[in-house]
Amino acid sequence: MIHDLLTDKKYLFASGANTELRAQRNLNRRATILNGDLVGNVRTENFGVSARVYENGVYGFSSTAEYTDETVKDVLKAASENAAFLARHAGKGKGPHKALACGVSRTGYELNDVEQKTYIEFIQALDRYIAGKYSDLMSRTVIATADSMEKLLCVSNGTDGYSVMPRSYIYVVMTIAGPEGDPVELFKVIGGGYGTFDRNFNSPEAYYGEIDKLYGDLRKKAEGVYPEAGNKTVILGGILSGMLAHEAVGHTVEADLVIGGSVAGPNLNKRVGSELVSLVDYAHTAFGKPTPLPVYVDDEGTAASDAILIKDGILVGYMNSRESAERFGMAPVGNARAYLFSDEPLIRMRNTAVLPGTSKLEDMIASIDDGYYLLDTNNGQADTTGEFMFGVTFGYEIKNGKLGKALRDTTISGVAFDMLKTVDMVSDEMIWASSGMCGKKQPMPVGMGGPALRCRVTIGGR
Amino acid sequence: MTETIKKTAQSAVAALKAAGADKALANVSYTVTHEFNVDGGEFSLFRTLFDKQLSMTAIQGGRKGTVSQNRYDEATIAESAKACLEAAASAQPDENWDFAPESENKDFVLGAVKPDTDKLFARCQELMAAVKERYPRIIMEQMIVAHREIYSAKANSYGVLYSTHEGKYEVDLMFSGHEGEKASSFFGSGVVTDSLDKPFLEMGSIAEDLANVEKQIETSGVEGKFEGTMVLMPGCVISLFWSLLENFAGEGGLLSGTSPWKDKLGEMVADERITVSFAPLDERIVCGSRVTSEGFPAENYDVIRNGRLNAFLLGLYASNKLKLPRGGNDSFDVVIAAGDKPLSEIIGSIEKGILVGRFSGGEPSSNGDFSGVAKNSFLIENGKIGPALSETMVSGNMADMIKHLRAISEEQVADGMSVLPYMAFDGITISGK
Repeated sequence: MIHDLLTDKKYLFASGANTELRAQRNLNRRATILNGDLVGNVRTENFGVSARVYENGVYGFSSTAEYTDETVKDVLKAASENAAFLARHAGKGKGPHKALACGVSRTGYELNDVEQKTYIEFIQALDRYIAGKYSDLMSRTVIATADSMEKLLCVSNGTDGYSVMPRSYIYVVMTIAGPEGDPVELFKVIGGGYGTFDRNFNSPEAYYGEIDKLYGDLRKKAEGVYPEAGNKTVILGGILSGMLAHEAVGHTVEADLVIGGSVAGPNLNKRVGSELVSLVDYAHTAFGKPTPLPVYVDDEGTAASDAILIKDGILVGYMNSRESAERFGMAPVGNARAYLFSDEPLIRMRNTAVLPGTSKLEDMIASIDDGYYLLDTNNGQADTTGEFMFGVTFGYEIKNGKLGKALRDTTISGVAFDMLKTVDMVSDEMIWASSGMCGKKQPMPVGMGGPALRCRVTIGGR
Repeated sequence: MTETIKKTAQSAVAALKAAGADKALANVSYTVTHEFNVDGGEFSLFRTLFDKQLSMTAIQGGRKGTVSQNRYDEATIAESAKACLEAAASAQPDENWDFAPESENKDFVLGAVKPDTDKLFARCQELMAAVKERYPRIIMEQMIVAHREIYSAKANSYGVLYSTHEGKYEVDLMFSGHEGEKASSFFGSGVVTDSLDKPFLEMGSIAEDLANVEKQIETSGVEGKFEGTMVLMPGCVISLFWSLLENFAGEGGLLSGTSPWKDKLGEMVADERITVSFAPLDERIVCGSRVTSEGFPAENYDVIRNGRLNAFLLGLYASNKLKLPRGGNDSFDVVIAAGDKPLSEIIGSIEKGILVGRFSGGEPSSNGDFSGVAKNSFLIENGKIGPALSETMVSGNMADMIKHLRAISEEQVADGMSVLPYMAFDGITISGK
């Protein structure tokens, strides 16, 4: 646990400015087995302290890897000097941020730093199972990964915080030869989520079923077809609707990107989707349960609550920092997050999801004569215009209301606020995913989720 | 500082040996960053960062483990050495792990090692003013301009000991064009430089990129689907070639056995006009790496030379494992040889095609298939650049594509990180909604 060298430095905070001090430790552990060989075996730790000062509408920031009473004072001084430099040359004539309710948030987690051999032995057992059972694979990769962020935050105004966010996952990648000898690949996140590896993974045998399913899907994919290119009716499975929530909609409603000119700017309080579409960035609790990666206080000292983004098809809000919230006349709800101690808080998503509806998945499939059911993705990109592209790694044809052949790799694209208006069925069950890292100057662990959506998108074919 | 960093690297190697390592490697660095940020067209942040990194790798009985920390005091080095050996003990033995043998150790000094912060800020202000005046429809979503001063050292148990003291200015821009409620796609541009003598606007392709994005506010779609020529702008060349080289010539595809080029070393894999090099020692690359992460002196090398597969991107482990030659460096400093035609002549020869500034696509399949959205792109018709495009997809196979080269431009863009021409390929499927 991080020793508190911050709270007793509050007397150094300048009046008339907003100041944050943050000490933070990030742990990353990773082991990779490729065709039986351990090709990756790495443990990484980053620990240090930073200060950020807001003065006259601009920020100064400084960080150092040393964490002592003296270095805390040093970064505070450097951040103040940087703020003063920028305020002199590019100040905006603004005062400090609006006051927030003050308090303390402590959300501990007993962070058991698991020995490297635990990761390795676990994935070796899975690899032996795969190698023993599936001899026709061209290659197999099994990866164990765990990361955690432990933060101690002290602010001049707002909520001081101590938080720990651990997560751990196993990835399995399999490749077989297609009919023409070309490699066909499929990967899956096997188990895991919030929590340390030892709590998430008990017995390798418990995951054999998921591995068997992955192999079965890979065989179907190898014998599969490329979709016909064009604008098609599809069902996006929960993994893809979560990707849509995050990439295609979520980023455009981050207030810094709105200021930068995103499509959400002129669309506030306008219809951007059918009335079946609602979208929320959840903080720590959703549908009565903890979110995949709960956030209780952000790195500006804002106590976290949910950001309602789209309600019944109408764009009703953005995700904000304290500064952007003042600009837009909205309340900040805890979206300003930093990845490393040396990173400044940026507006980031937390657990972003399309809300479930009332349709049954089987009825949705039965309703389509000629279309596709798209289940998995390895990659998603979107533009500030809302134009998006997702790689699709697994799915099925739908012919006459029934699932047909599996699909080979393809791509879907569209414009989010156009595509959401075509959503005419939303399933009553949703899926969360939390293994991903969002990239935006800094990486950040995020959760995303959604139900199955019936809609129209452009599918790339081969 | 250089001597301190070198001694730290040697201490880390000694600690690993004392903890029981047969072979040991340490990489140590100390970085000071001064960074200015613009968000939404206004200055927003000034950062100074003081970062340390220590990476220690041990091989014991053929078992390898790596531990990285951002501290390197005596106690941390001792603890990390122990943790590193524990990590290695969990691995299965593999005789192919090794480090670089001793060679002529050197100390390098590269670039502008110390920042001129006032001049850097003045160049930032100048760029923002110039954009406002010359490209009034551009919103600078984000500008990050930094100077990084890095002291680094690499040491291993064979006696390798290199140090580098380098400094460079990095300019990263993200912007889009706007007119009323109409907007272009966003676009990224930037340079790395060791000199503040010239305005940033005169470096790399920044001015051209800003001008293009202003033209992309108004877009139209492509009707239907056709096969045509795809001209890649230099910034787009790098993204597609990187995917190709990683999948086909990189360690992953070769170790897993899925690379279609695994048996093609020395064979023609591309049009004979294509030469692709990793060239950190090229004078147009700013602060290119001089030493590999394993401690070998960096050398320029051609991956594809005149269309022939000349080398793989292999580190020492993969090289030993596959019994194939090691790559000459592990940088991403790509140089693609220029062609002999001006871009205007290449465009003039194209009946129907597309000029692509950015490719937004899924991870290409391991067989080279790609499909994605052509962003920041223009239609080419009857030898002329036409309207900017939206919602247009391009697809093909990268291995086939590089055999169907139409032309390479004589113009190259050097941005301090790479040197790249425009490249035109035939037989690409281009489709609209």
